[in-house]
Amino acid sequence: MSAAPILRIENVGKIFTRAHKPSVEALRNINLSVHQGEFVSIVGASGSGKSTLLRIIDGLLAPSDGKVYVDDTLVTGPGRDRAVVFQQDSLLPWKTVVENVAYGLSLAGIRWSEAAKTAQRFIDLAGLTGFEQHYPHQLSGGMRQRVNVARALAVDPKILLLDEPFAALDAQTREIMQSELLSIWQQSRKTVLLITHQIDEAVFLSDRVIVFSARPGSVRREVRVNLPRPRELEVKRRPEFVALVDDIWKLIEAEVRAGLKQQ
Amino acid sequence: MRAIFDFLEQDTRAASFARIMSSTLSVLILWQLLSLMVTNRLLLVPPADVAASLLEEARSGAMWVNAAATVTAVVTSFIVSIVLGVAIGLALASNRLLSLTGGPVLSALNSVPIIALAPLFISWLGLGFASKFVLVLMVAVFPIVVTTEAGLRAADRQLIEAAVSFNASKWQIFTTVTLPFSLPFVVGGIRVAWARALVGIVVAEFFGSFAGFGFAILSASQTFDTARVLGYVIVLGAMGLLGSIAFETLERRLAPWRQE
Repeated sequence: MSAAPILRIENVGKIFTRAHKPSVEALRNINLSVHQGEFVSIVGASGSGKSTLLRIIDGLLAPSDGKVYVDDTLVTGPGRDRAVVFQQDSLLPWKTVVENVAYGLSLAGIRWSEAAKTAQRFIDLAGLTGFEQHYPHQLSGGMRQRVNVARALAVDPKILLLDEPFAALDAQTREIMQSELLSIWQQSRKTVLLITHQIDEAVFLSDRVIVFSARPGSVRREVRVNLPRPRELEVKRRPEFVALVDDIWKLIEAEVRAGLKQQ
Repeated sequence: MRAIFDFLEQDTRAASFARIMSSTLSVLILWQLLSLMVTNRLLLVPPADVAASLLEEARSGAMWVNAAATVTAVVTSFIVSIVLGVAIGLALASNRLLSLTGGPVLSALNSVPIIALAPLFISWLGLGFASKFVLVLMVAVFPIVVTTEAGLRAADRQLIEAAVSFNASKWQIFTTVTLPFSLPFVVGGIRVAWARALVGIVVAEFFGSFAGFGFAILSASQTFDTARVLGYVIVLGAMGLLGSIAFETLERRLAPWRQE
């Protein structure tokens, strides 16, 4: 990793000020770098501001302090170099799968014939072949999230931001989606930043896991995952994997308990 | 028996046709039975007499004169109501200050029984097309304004955020998220407006006109021609039903995901 990091987060803090209520400090002094092709996860108790950080990186929110750089360019708003997969499937219900996957491309002014061709590549990659003309309401939750992932990948972002993408799915579907995400990642070699509260998900997918403290969120610990790739779901039963998950849980447990008292 | 119910509950064109036919038939049977009990023909006439009276109206040409007068007035005014209602709804949804200032006035106007102002409109605008046009407009425009504004505001925040995240411009958010999201709401408002427009036109024609279904109903009731009164009421009912079916179909076409 000699090259400059593709994502640089420098001293980022975020304070939400609200009318007639005390302001809330969501993030404090975050410093973080992600390199080209890396898969990094952020785990933390709920309310630790990890989703806020993702929205700042995407440019949906402005930080109160600090700066975010993507490929050495200062982030001032949403841009085509980043794409988000949201927790809820935010697909347009009146558009078919292929139209949804091509949505980002159409917004960027790309001709339909070309956008559809690109969309098809990612539909195939996400295992949605044959469902091009279906509408979101005709698909299962897992399928809809695949469309979401394909839509984000189709705009060819430098960084893929995943905001608890599988949190709304049942436990079994989630496992399958994790391994499918890994195989998609292996083929596309995107830089990925994943926000999750599932420790095993973070360890299974990532090269590095960033553990957040409770509010105000800050980097508590960085854990390197040295499990060999490609990883299959069986990895989750290996003793190294279990030990790693356990270590991270011990780091978070106190934070989760503290967070419970705060609310 | 079970099979018949299962068929009727289906979401197909044939089943919905069968449902309408069977409810119409039940009304006709009930009506026929009632008119066997109520023998005073000034109060109630059997369906067959009404049908005969309608045929007579059609043959003599009176039906077409009335239809032309009513349909031109109600359709023109209805189309203008849609355009105006959507335009006002758009303005209210896009400007918070306008919505806050204009909102109370609009809801006050909406709750006033505008029908009661019919005599006033007629003395201002005279008998005929102009007064009908304005009265129908006044009753039909409000449901469209209200649903357009509500529909535009109802757009899923999650969808808007996703569009913003894809770097969409304000105009792109409007055309790809807010507008398509609001369309089924708008059509729902138009459906309500159509029913109101039909009431509006009849009242307008009661108070002042020389032709139209409302005029025909009034003049028939003054000569105690109950069959003719009911005949024209049925024609109006059919117009209402057709409009309702058409707009409901359109609403479903525009938002098939809402039924799941």
